[in-house]
Amino acid sequence: MTAVWSVALITFKEGIKNRIIFGIFIIALLLFAATTILTTLFMRDIVKVAVDLSLSTVSFAGLLTLLFIGVNLFGKDLDKRTIYMVISRPVSRSQYLIGKFLGIVLLSFVVVAFLGILSAIPVILSKRFYYYPEARFDWWIYFIAVIYIFIKLAIVSAIITLFASFTSNSFIALVLSLVAYIIGQSTESVRGLLASQVEKIDVSPILSYMVEIAYYVFPNISAFDLKTQAAHGLSINPSYIIWTALYAIFYMTIAVVIGTLAFKRREFP
Amino acid sequence: MAIISFNNITKNYKTGFRKKKTALRDFSLDIHEGEVFGFLGPNGAGKSTAIKLLLNLIFPTTGKAEILGRRVADREIKKLIGYLPENPYFYDYLNPIELLSFAGKTSGMDSLKIRKKTESLLNTVGLWSERKRAIRSYSKGMVQRVGLALALIHDPKVVILDEPMTGLDPIGRKQVIDLILKLKSEGKTVFFSSHILEDIERVCDRIGILVNGRLVRIMDIKSESLTRPLEEIFIEEVEKAGGARE
Ligand SMILES: Nc1ncnc2c1ncn2[C@@H]1O[C@H](COP(=O)(O)OP(=O)(O)OP(=O)(O)O)[C@@H](O)[C@H]1O
Ligand SMILES: [Mg+2]
Repeated sequence: MTAVWSVALITFKEGIKNRIIFGIFIIALLLFAATTILTTLFMRDIVKVAVDLSLSTVSFAGLLTLLFIGVNLFGKDLDKRTIYMVISRPVSRSQYLIGKFLGIVLLSFVVVAFLGILSAIPVILSKRFYYYPEARFDWWIYFIAVIYIFIKLAIVSAIITLFASFTSNSFIALVLSLVAYIIGQSTESVRGLLASQVEKIDVSPILSYMVEIAYYVFPNISAFDLKTQAAHGLSINPSYIIWTALYAIFYMTIAVVIGTLAFKRREFP
Repeated sequence: MAIISFNNITKNYKTGFRKKKTALRDFSLDIHEGEVFGFLGPNGAGKSTAIKLLLNLIFPTTGKAEILGRRVADREIKKLIGYLPENPYFYDYLNPIELLSFAGKTSGMDSLKIRKKTESLLNTVGLWSERKRAIRSYSKGMVQRVGLALALIHDPKVVILDEPMTGLDPIGRKQVIDLILKLKSEGKTVFFSSHILEDIERVCDRIGILVNGRLVRIMDIKSESLTRPLEEIFIEEVEKAGGARE
């Protein structure tokens, strides 16, 4: 446990001190400012627009952090052999991989927590200046939506860990992770589309099988998007929260376990 | 009992589809307790390969390596091993204190001991005044010094160094020699590779010459004092073995 935690901690420190993170924070702050200005241009539904844009910004900044820092935290270890200073200690390959994963999860947690708090500013401003009594909004749901952004990023971290376990090329890992993210975000809607249209148009069975496989292999990223609920102040079913959280834990466990199996036999020449 | 033992090790690297490069051929060697063993050989002879096998960073194609009578895959023995990689590279944004703290914790030390040892080691390698700076701003020799401190933080019984003097200034080189002699006086076993024959002559009890993945000679240079310069012997062995590369 000490080994895993120590690896997680240096991974987190190395990530948070990276200069790229300042760039990402600046982009996020600019987007928050833009959100605030933009909402003044809308005559109605101002709070909804502010909530939607604020949450999108948090999610976008978190994703940038994972793709540009998270992927490199693995990439550099393997390219430049920083991993020697870890594996030459009493740390197994599996402990290394799990520690690395947890360090990246911790990094995305801190980014989401920090930007999640800041993201409330445009929302508060829009509520203060353009308040319509009939608009529904609930901070509690907003908070859950932010947590769900974090859970989504944790799943992406698990995918990065999985890809890093068998490729040492950062660029390939980055592209694969991004592709997995994009597919993961659309499988549910594509599947829904096919299911609803199956009577009207001819869908080849191969295509629908492929969509079905993609639906189960790739993480269902869109399930963690609660922007609409937060923007409209719609209540979220507790069972939905429990099931998606369990799904996330299950998916991450599988991805990281497969990763450790691949990594166990890996050499670092 | 041998402290380090290589038993009939062959190591092939995959270099392409169905192509391989043999870096070690039927390599066997025993290093004894308390000795300083110098590992010599031309570039590409397989020295680093042999060393990486000891740390379980790579796996032998055939044969086995043991340290203190245990298989190198047993990660518990790594508490007793200190390792300096060749051309070491560490986390860019961390400073030596953070790196040494990581190394100490994973090797099972408590924080008080880590703090004491960190201070004394950073003083030894001359980096105490630079301890708060991130590694990315360090020069090559300074990084090498951090690597030496990392190898020794947990007071290991067995010290394995891959070209410890590379990149160091003359004073640094002298300090490494003194360090190795100090480790020897404490009863530690030191196994290191180097191209600097002069340094090897000064500190080693025995040397081994590796050419093209084969161990061609082992010499006891402390008891049978050298009648000829080591350089001459080295060149002769390399030529006898058919040159540095086949
Ligand atoms: N990852 C690798 N893939 C393929 N071949 C490799 C790999 N690493 C090393 N080799 C080959 O194995 C042989 C031994 O390399 P090694 O690094 O062990 O040499 P060395 O004795 O340490 O040399 P040097 O003195 O230059 O450090 C060389 O021919 C090298 O080309
Ligand atoms: Mg070498």
